[in-house]
Amino acid sequence: MAEITEIAHEFIRQEIEEFVERPDERQRTINTFAKARPEMQAIAAALIEGENDTVDQLTRQALDSGIEALEVMDYGLIAGMGIVGIKFRQNFIFVPEVLACARAMKAGMAHIEPILSAAGVEPIGTVIMGTVKGDLHDIGKNLCIMMLRGAGFVVHDLGVDTSADKFIEAVEETKAPLLGMSALLTTTMPNMGKTIEAFIDADLRDEVKIMVGGAPVTQDFADDMGADGYGKDALACVALAKNLLGVVARS
Amino acid sequence: MATKEELQHRLDQISELFASIVTHADHQSSWRCPYKNRFDQCTAQFGCRNKRKPKVQGELPICVGDDKLDYRPAWE
Repeated sequence: MAEITEIAHEFIRQEIEEFVERPDERQRTINTFAKARPEMQAIAAALIEGENDTVDQLTRQALDSGIEALEVMDYGLIAGMGIVGIKFRQNFIFVPEVLACARAMKAGMAHIEPILSAAGVEPIGTVIMGTVKGDLHDIGKNLCIMMLRGAGFVVHDLGVDTSADKFIEAVEETKAPLLGMSALLTTTMPNMGKTIEAFIDADLRDEVKIMVGGAPVTQDFADDMGADGYGKDALACVALAKNLLGVVARS
Repeated sequence: MATKEELQHRLDQISELFASIVTHADHQSSWRCPYKNRFDQCTAQFGCRNKRKPKVQGELPICVGDDKLDYRPAWE
């Protein structure tokens, strides 16, 4: 059983002391970081702070210096994200902070991806994601993207206020077999249908499966506008994406 | 060299971590605007009636929503 004083990084020690309250979780976290070398603790600290440039740089340096990808994941990226999850669960931080940490994790994982591929762990598929034209709400979309990336998808995020032309351009450029559209306003929701029509007009509808989601969207609305699937939240989005890509593979 | 199974196990761990985060995000969004950060600043790119100018120029706007009411009608 390790002691917190065995953790070299002051910031990590402070984070554990201040935020990790459950005794079992606290001891498990201390045990992990006590075993982590300083470079891994620094990656975890930068991730907890949401500093994606630092995570990017430190992860690259660690791998270049010969540290194994598994060690970087176990003691840097996953260990850091574990503390983020605990802080979020206990409402010390909120969705904007968590998304910043997830972006930092993505920056680190970008260096792990070639190692995953070399070992035969390939991405599940490529997805284009965006909030429809006229809509600037992006939290739901960003949570879906976080989940999709975590599940092993390559995601191209087109951001908010995305026109049908931009969606089409992205699908043509990346050859992505899957597109996800989000809308939060009842006034912008019809733009999902208009985007689907634009894909039909561009003779690309058969090339891509389209999934939709967002607070006002329902399964009936998705069916009416001709979407291939509807996800009620970020968890459903991943299940739907896997399902739709399975359909693509079979056809 | 890590094996495919070892790496896949780590990806599964990340997936589980994110799944618990989105489950809590869903719950948290029922009592607090998801665009509001820990400093009670608004990170939304759209207009909201609860937004106030920041005290320091260049900082994010301040959220004055009290979270007692459904915040969604305030979004523009």
